[in-house]
Amino acid sequence: MAIIDSSSVLKVENLRKSFGDKEILKGLSLSVRKGEVKVIIGPSGGGKSTLLQCINFLVVPDEGEVWLEGKKISHGKKRELYAYRQQVGMIFQDFNLFDHLNALENVQIGLVRVKKCDKAEARARALAELQRVGLAEHVLQYPAQLSGGQKQRVSIARALAMDPKVMLLDEPTSALDPELIGEVHAVIKDLVANGMTMLMATHQIGFASALADEIIFMEDGYIVEQGPPAKILLQAECARTREFCAKITKISGDS
Amino acid sequence: MNQAIISFVRRARIGRNNDRHLGDLLGKVFHNMPEGLIAIANALPYMLKGSLVTVGVVIGAMGLGLILGIPLAVGLMFGPGWLRRILSLYVWFFRGVPLLVLLFLFYFGLFALMEINLSAFSAGTIVLGLISSAYQSQIFRGAISSLPQGQLKAARALGMSDSKAIVYIILPQALRLSIPAWSNEYSIILKDSAVTYALGVAEIMARAHFVASRTYQHLPLYLAAGLIYLVLTYMGTRLLRLLEDKVRIPGYSH
Repeated sequence: MAIIDSSSVLKVENLRKSFGDKEILKGLSLSVRKGEVKVIIGPSGGGKSTLLQCINFLVVPDEGEVWLEGKKISHGKKRELYAYRQQVGMIFQDFNLFDHLNALENVQIGLVRVKKCDKAEARARALAELQRVGLAEHVLQYPAQLSGGQKQRVSIARALAMDPKVMLLDEPTSALDPELIGEVHAVIKDLVANGMTMLMATHQIGFASALADEIIFMEDGYIVEQGPPAKILLQAECARTREFCAKITKISGDS
Repeated sequence: MNQAIISFVRRARIGRNNDRHLGDLLGKVFHNMPEGLIAIANALPYMLKGSLVTVGVVIGAMGLGLILGIPLAVGLMFGPGWLRRILSLYVWFFRGVPLLVLLFLFYFGLFALMEINLSAFSAGTIVLGLISSAYQSQIFRGAISSLPQGQLKAARALGMSDSKAIVYIILPQALRLSIPAWSNEYSIILKDSAVTYALGVAEIMARAHFVASRTYQHLPLYLAAGLIYLVLTYMGTRLLRLLEDKVRIPGYSH
């Protein structure tokens, strides 16, 4: 019996996913409350990306349930699925901007084609979101003309324009040159300061610990341990968590 | 060693003989040139009218091929298994049967059987269009599968239905990528259009043949016909290159 926590925006129950005979997610559950920031850490190949993509059904889970604001999502019903995805902002590791559209059009297209806003309204909103991520001067540039950091900021603006109730960020700075990571981190920090609910996978441990209400350590398709950053990073109960955190802290040298 | 020298000498002799033949040939051509030029000059307006017919067939066939080729490609890429099998069968059929057979099959066979009364021009255009749709579907399919997977994922993540994602995100990019291959398809259809002559379509080739069989000026007239095809090929591929430049996404190099 799942007890529905009324304050949780996003709730995931017993998510399972296999590719062939390799089980990637082995029955995962978690929930994120309104305004809460949860960060998923763990080795590559541990299922972080699959988990995030299963949450908005870009990858269809074999088993499990997803709830948004207390409502169970039936992903088989297309209309319900599309409506749900509009409320869940997704940020990809490799940005996935629409290459044939400039920055403004990238942010606008969801408003015009999905939310059916009129053109002028969509344009105003898109401009405001691009300004918010510091790209007011680049609105007419195409993805191929932008740096990686700028591309990721456009993709954040694109997600924000849809007024998401929760955002899923899949290693948003992993594909960036080190000197470009800061500008994207600044934008994400700003979102957190404004109360955005977030579930983020990252390897940037320093950044994670500064932002997160809770850190989830995930490995081999399981959640090994979760708790406040101070506990996970410094006094983890599980030896494997301690080992991973020690390594990653040493390598990243914090940001 | 000896044998080698003998065969060399023999070959040289043959070569000289050939030169003599070539000389005779050129002599004949130049001797007949005034007549040939006159024949071309007389036939040119008539043949150029034929090139309008050719252009009509080619544009019609390319257009039909485009209109059918896009949904074919989308069906082949994103459709359910049963649909993909049916569409593959269609592509296999139109790519596998020779053009001339298809022209006769449809014009004298199918259209007649179905009591559809079509002019040779329409029938030829439709058959060329159906064939082209099979080839164009493969052009578009290749372009679609060359796009990064993330494009479709990002569109879905925004709440777009698959059909919206295909119309607004996938096809605008795939069609741009298709232009070079499309220009290739144009030059192929242009040349294939000459075969519609067999149905009696009054295009370039039919008219060249008509004049040549009456004036006996085969060489100059078919040369002229060939030249018209070359010019049409050049103009078409040139136009498509301009289109390619016009729709190029800024920031991408050649």
